[in-house]
Amino acid sequence: MSEAEKLGPDYELDLGWMDQTGPWDTRAEESRNGLTLADIQVGEYGRVPDESDNQTGRPRGAAPRSGSYRIGNYAVRTKSEIWLDNASFLYEEALQRQWSSATDVPWHTIEPLPDDIEQAQCQMATFLTEVEFVAGDVPARWVSQTTPDFFEARQLLTAQVMDESRHMDVFRKRAMANGGGLMAATGATSGFVGSIDLSRDFTEMSARLHISGEGAVLTIFRMGELMAYNDAEKAMYRLCAQDEARHVAYGVMHMRYMAETAPERHEEINCYLDEAEAGILSGSANPAGQAPIVSEPLAILLGGGIAKFDEGFKKLVALRRRQIQEYKKRVVSAGFGARFENGRSRINEILEQAAAA
Amino acid sequence: MAKAVKAAAKAVKSPHADTVRKAVAAPMLEIPEPKLTWMNKSRQWGVRVKPGKKGLTLGSLNVGIYGEIPMDWPDQTRNPRGAIGRKGMPPVGYMLRSKAEVWADSAADLYEEAIQRRWAPATDVPWNTVKPLPDDLERAVCQVSTELSQYANVEIEVISAWQHQMVYGYHEVKQYLATAGFDAARHYEVFRKRALINGGGLGLEGAGQVNRMILESRGGWTEAVVYLVLVRGLFVQTILRYLEQYAYNEAERFIYRNVMQDKARLLTYGLDHLKFAIAHNEDQKQIIATLLAIGDGLFIRDFNDPVLREALAIIFGGSIDGARGAGMDVYHDMMRAYISTHLEYCQWLDVPRRVPEPLEQYAPQD
Repeated sequence: MSEAEKLGPDYELDLGWMDQTGPWDTRAEESRNGLTLADIQVGEYGRVPDESDNQTGRPRGAAPRSGSYRIGNYAVRTKSEIWLDNASFLYEEALQRQWSSATDVPWHTIEPLPDDIEQAQCQMATFLTEVEFVAGDVPARWVSQTTPDFFEARQLLTAQVMDESRHMDVFRKRAMANGGGLMAATGATSGFVGSIDLSRDFTEMSARLHISGEGAVLTIFRMGELMAYNDAEKAMYRLCAQDEARHVAYGVMHMRYMAETAPERHEEINCYLDEAEAGILSGSANPAGQAPIVSEPLAILLGGGIAKFDEGFKKLVALRRRQIQEYKKRVVSAGFGARFENGRSRINEILEQAAAA
Repeated sequence: MAKAVKAAAKAVKSPHADTVRKAVAAPMLEIPEPKLTWMNKSRQWGVRVKPGKKGLTLGSLNVGIYGEIPMDWPDQTRNPRGAIGRKGMPPVGYMLRSKAEVWADSAADLYEEAIQRRWAPATDVPWNTVKPLPDDLERAVCQVSTELSQYANVEIEVISAWQHQMVYGYHEVKQYLATAGFDAARHYEVFRKRALINGGGLGLEGAGQVNRMILESRGGWTEAVVYLVLVRGLFVQTILRYLEQYAYNEAERFIYRNVMQDKARLLTYGLDHLKFAIAHNEDQKQIIATLLAIGDGLFIRDFNDPVLREALAIIFGGSIDGARGAGMDVYHDMMRAYISTHLEYCQWLDVPRRVPEPLEQYAPQD
């Protein structure tokens, strides 16, 4: 006697579920880059609703059950609030470009440095360890509040949390790899009103985090060769820059989607950008900002020691200019460039003040 | 070599670095005198951690004061453990500030392992090995894929909802959970891809009682871990183990094997955490026992839903006809394996456990 008979002799298969499916006969095909998220956007499965009524966590396109609980309680159910058109592409890139701070950074190339340089490097590493995971904590919170109907955007945020975790750890590793240690925290990402953590709206958060905060850090990472003293540090900055570029792209593309689909929110978004610009150099979340706890170590690294602080400071100011140029390009690309033409943006004025400080 | 590393090796020079270098020659405004108040501020200087056999790992950094991990971490800023905090900073609002609420000794190692064992559904799964299946089998595989994708969704939502509430002092756990959330995202994706590649589609959404239980576990992360790992996680792990044996092509085998490997890390973290929580809270063991007893009712309601059971039996039996005999035999065997392992884990945790009557048929006979 079979187990089935022993355990349930009258057992009959129901099989009613076999006819309850999403659209059938679907056959996604691999493309040059494998079977990507973009490749499975076929037929109805690729249709993303402008408003999601999915509160059960149902995979988009699956057949609903009439008795399912409304357990989703998702705060983000409007597509324009979180969407970007290239989320699938960026997510797949994130998967392909994962790296390991344990084994992909050539730590053996680190040699003892003069004490002032080592201290500056460790202070910078302490700062980056401190701030990088704000970009892990905050996106995580939004992931859990977003309907799975917008899963492409959510997947990308999940990848960002992963990336930031690696950034937090690579800089901690750097601080402890060369005879130094962690130094002083800045408190840069504490619970201030207007901070990334306290944003009540995803786009507000994205303007602060992706466009302003990570944008400024990306410029620094891209210039990593100017403050790196060995191949390990160069690798660290370059690898982090790749990740950070995706995060900034999220912000730009999301804001562009907003610009195109939610004209009623333009003024509000300009307000977020006003705030972001006001804080871009004066806040201590930008390593090239005006707070001495971050700008001084950076100037020492750029100059080549305390004795060359003046040279380093000149480079720092040039870096700030570069940050602002890149920021402006991003905002223009996102569809909010008019603010630089109509006198609304004070960013040039802010830059000149900072340069003179 | 990782693609990121190759790309980084090519990006040797920033196109704008020269502009910054040339700034040195520019006439300059007033340059402030450096204050250097941050210099010589370290709780422990002179640390030199060397890479070991597995590289420079997160766990290897826990030397000297950097390895001191207190039982309570009241600081609600992002002050890295071992750094000198800044006084007077408004709190971020972290809710989980006690080590017993989050900790597992294995977290740092699991974090590094997750990074080393990364895989990409788009390119690592041999999708070309998926060939047309008889309609009943394809429907069964698609139904199971739909439910597993939905399970992964719950995992994403639960992990991401708790992770950001954990203080910075226990960063190893936050970092491990970042990998676990990313793993879950990959699982969500890979099962969706499987459902949509072979002439099928998504099936019926899951029954959802256990999903609800996991999502509504608001008493603390430990409570969520009980349901996410000890109930659902182990159940999924068992399903995957059987699916791997009865996979119909190399792609499915690859998927089940790799998802299982990811899930094994979550199981390890979860059990390790529960053990730690029990060791540091005398009431915790009983709380877990109570949670499990409550959870049984919902698990049984999910279990009584025929959809997943029948879909699995069809896969195990090779057809609808096969499901009625051999397929259901394998299904029941799978349930016995699940209950048996679940009881072993509870015994290891020293949590009192009684198998509820509707599941007694699956309990070990001795």
